[in-house]
Amino acid sequence: MSVIETSQLTKVFPGNIRAVDSIDFEVKAGEIFGFLGPNGAGKTTTIKMLNTLIRPTSGTAVVTGFDILKNPAVIRKNIGYVAQDVGVDEYATGRENLTLYGHFYRLDGRTIKQRVKEIFELVDLAGFEDKRVSTYSGGMRKRLDIAMGLIHQPQLIFLDEPTVGLDPQTRTHIWDYIHNLAKVMGVTIFLTTHYMEEADHLADRIAIIDLGKIIAMGTPNELKEAIGGDVIILTPCETGDEQCDEFIRKTQSVLADKPFVLRTQPADGELAVYVNKGESAAPNIMRLLAKEGIEVESLSVSRPSLDDVFLKYTGRTIRAQEGTATTYAQIKRKRDRR
Amino acid sequence: MYLLNDIRVQVIRHLKTLFRIRVWIFISLVQPIIWLVLFTQVFDSLGQSFAIIPGLEGVSYLQFFAPGVVVMTVLFGSAWAGMGMLQDIDMGILSKMLATPVTRASIITSRVLASMVMLVIQALIIFTIAVIMGVDIVTGVPGVLFSIVIICLLGLGFAAFSNGLALLFRRPEPLMGVINFIALPTVFMSSTMMPGGPDGFLPGWLDTVRQFNPVDYAVVGVRDLVLSGYIWSDLWRAILILAAWATAGIVFGTLMFRAKAE
Repeated sequence: MSVIETSQLTKVFPGNIRAVDSIDFEVKAGEIFGFLGPNGAGKTTTIKMLNTLIRPTSGTAVVTGFDILKNPAVIRKNIGYVAQDVGVDEYATGRENLTLYGHFYRLDGRTIKQRVKEIFELVDLAGFEDKRVSTYSGGMRKRLDIAMGLIHQPQLIFLDEPTVGLDPQTRTHIWDYIHNLAKVMGVTIFLTTHYMEEADHLADRIAIIDLGKIIAMGTPNELKEAIGGDVIILTPCETGDEQCDEFIRKTQSVLADKPFVLRTQPADGELAVYVNKGESAAPNIMRLLAKEGIEVESLSVSRPSLDDVFLKYTGRTIRAQEGTATTYAQIKRKRDRR
Repeated sequence: MYLLNDIRVQVIRHLKTLFRIRVWIFISLVQPIIWLVLFTQVFDSLGQSFAIIPGLEGVSYLQFFAPGVVVMTVLFGSAWAGMGMLQDIDMGILSKMLATPVTRASIITSRVLASMVMLVIQALIIFTIAVIMGVDIVTGVPGVLFSIVIICLLGLGFAAFSNGLALLFRRPEPLMGVINFIALPTVFMSSTMMPGGPDGFLPGWLDTVRQFNPVDYAVVGVRDLVLSGYIWSDLWRAILILAAWATAGIVFGTLMFRAKAE
């Protein structure tokens, strides 16, 4: 059974910005579905269409069996939404925050009391019910935030960048909750993230989204296996100047026709070389390059990651874009130039 | 009825928030007292000139200004009501709420109603202090209750407009600008501080302008009830005009909510 099914879902913002561009995908009951992409790829816009906060420009989706255009009110009852911003009221206590949402989700007083007790234990906040949220740490706030989307035991929950801005320890903590929600309690989870490890670790299936389009979809293993073999990353120099580009071009031409090289792909001042067996290819590459008088600053051999999947389809890495506020327009300009 | 329950739980949330900000409570209570004491000291000598105005013979400036302080407090209090909405937008609370089945109308209604509750409390405190300072309210307790109806209609309009502007701007700076731009001039363009009418102290053009100012209708109504009694021609006009004002505010707020929140 599918919990989400979109057809040609599209959102165009003023200025003809196609934030989400005719995407089709399906989320099955009980799975964790990851939406992976860099900032500005269209992840949040997709969530906001599916949870009825904004209307699509064209296309539609069926969420928990109801059409987002025809039955938004029913869908709101069936889903939980945890936004990227922690939407908790700092002046209220944890219990007050949760109770308010219990009322919004049409639970009666006794059920709310019962659920509040259970949920505080579930998210490990027992004992903090009557403390003001202003005294909570960042991780506690996020857990309360998630709890507020769970109070009515929804069949589907949307998590928009659930661990953004959290320290690594809290992040693994939150990962455990999300995993338990799906695998123990049977909640279907739609999760967006720009962290590859998060998608890799949590999601049963992943859709990789860039510039509003889904560029690849499958289980993490399927996606990585499609790359094949190992990845050798060559870094010529510290700075990404003209000389580096020259180095990358030369290296590419040296390696291009060698039988053990599957593919080469320059990215952000590095060169990714895809080979069948990394361990034996690495010394070969070093030897070939030394013969041409090319010096390598560093070299690393690894299994393909989801970032390599992203790199393969877009020519960019998600990693390089973390922290930089790349706007849609900038990326589009870059792409058009290419 | 989900609507009523949604309004109830949110009004409680807003009031709790306000009561937990101690500085806010302190300032809201002290401010009107400062108005009352400071202004009546500054303008005390003005009271002697009231003798020439029919209906104000023998009225001190304190007696004249006390109804004005009630209305000013309502005006300033409700004009800032949108700041709470801004906070909810900014913290992501509003969009999170909109993804729940909560009745849409309850979100803005509860904010406006919470403002009303605070204004009524403030107004009652000012009336009490005024009485202690020697103001004689000729219509007594029923008159005070009537005054509450009048100022609630005024506050309703301002609070709804303020919330609508918060949704329109989504930033504090323009909202603060508009409120600062409007609040004091509307006081001066009314008979809050100076008597109006043919025998009053306002220049002719201002006396014309104040007829388009909802604040003036509230001041005139409340002042009648405090100083003169039930002058129905004034009171009916105040109720009708202010009801229209409140309706306009609610329509504006609702339209902004529909356009900007969803």
